[in-house]
Amino acid sequence: MGGIPKTAMNIVAYPIMKMDREILGEILAGGVEKLKEARTVLLGGHSVEDDEIKYGLSVTGFVHPNKILANQGLRVGDSLILTKPLGVGIINTAVKGGLANAQTVKEVTELMATLNQDAASVMQSFSVSACTDVTGFGLLGHLAEMISGSGLSISVDSAAVPIIPEAVEFAAMGFVPAGAHNNRKYRQDMVESGGDFDPILRDILYDPQTSGGLLIGCSEKDALPLQQRLHEAGVHHSRIIGHVTDKIKEKIVLG
Amino acid sequence: MIKELDARGLTCPAPVLLVKDCIDKEDPEELSILVDNDSSNENVTRFLTNKNYAVKTTPRENGEFHLQGIRSGHIEQPDKATSPASSHTAESAQKILVLVTSDRMGRGDNELGEKLMISYLKTINEMGSELWQLIFLNSGVKLTTNASPVLKELQTYEKDGVIILSCGTCLEHFELTAAKEVGGTTNMLDIVTATQLADKIVQVG
Repeated sequence: MGGIPKTAMNIVAYPIMKMDREILGEILAGGVEKLKEARTVLLGGHSVEDDEIKYGLSVTGFVHPNKILANQGLRVGDSLILTKPLGVGIINTAVKGGLANAQTVKEVTELMATLNQDAASVMQSFSVSACTDVTGFGLLGHLAEMISGSGLSISVDSAAVPIIPEAVEFAAMGFVPAGAHNNRKYRQDMVESGGDFDPILRDILYDPQTSGGLLIGCSEKDALPLQQRLHEAGVHHSRIIGHVTDKIKEKIVLG
Repeated sequence: MIKELDARGLTCPAPVLLVKDCIDKEDPEELSILVDNDSSNENVTRFLTNKNYAVKTTPRENGEFHLQGIRSGHIEQPDKATSPASSHTAESAQKILVLVTSDRMGRGDNELGEKLMISYLKTINEMGSELWQLIFLNSGVKLTTNASPVLKELQTYEKDGVIILSCGTCLEHFELTAAKEVGGTTNMLDIVTATQLADKIVQVG
């Protein structure tokens, strides 16, 4: 983290013989629009004929060697800020099942299409100890990566974690992607919670995110000003969601 | 009649949709479902529980699971046609739905939070006839059980026509299903519907 993107290559898989080509055109145009927003040049790309649509970008950028933000580097007492709400994976599962209404689809699409560049730019003027983005491993999986091998423990204030409200309903109905269950099985030994911890909330904390937010570590003193600046920059969902407690057990404690 | 479904070879959310479709169309008393992965097992179990089925899971060979769902005998849903609440709300200006999502009010001090919640629930009848439903979720369900400090008040409200409901999943989670002493049990779909129908929703917890 901490770099500025400069060039990009498209990677696309598409059932070109079975599906309307116009849709492919729209996907690529959407990608270009986001690249413009990120002031990044599209150089070319690779395409594959495939039954399931896949689209992504391979991006190259620059970063000063002293300004690279790794996912490790947290210190005891640091606060953690999450900049986008969780629940994208669960809602996408409900969308696949045809259960999400148009308004929810619109909200989650806008959320996924929102770049992290505003959050990243605000973060530049603060002393950040560690940073990663929340994607396939879910919040708890990425928190686990941040402390893996360090001995540090994190306390998560579950009530403060931003969540897309509809995700709670769909998770309660069983629309939880396989990835969330897999994330939990892989990391549950590191995660501690009280016996009365809501299993639905727990699934949301493990929910794999598409284009999730940044997870930023900074000193407790900087946390409120950073959250405030993020809100001012339009990154409204940003919340302080927990802090590093000690360097003994290497656990994530859900409260 | 036992309805048999084979959800093997399907990935999320297809197994849940298969079961949902079956329940929506046929509303069977008992279901027998085969799934071939852990995620489907957990998701289908959650869906059936949500729909008031008691689920028994038996692991089979090759990572498959057999799920048996039997409709719980004691589904308690407010009968909207006959309940005194419907006439009660018909005359009211608006329907207020109160979601109690914890046994404490606010954050900070737990003891204080418990006192505040008790006080809130003892005072809530000041809303008068506009108070339509009280739905208890998460640790809030503790307030509808025999150990609740506001049990008497809630029972009085219920007699006066307020619909009182506890989330079934939550009661099961805290193993309090047998301890509930006031109101009915509800599920997420009914809660979603209730939140849609209410004129005003108040969340405390």
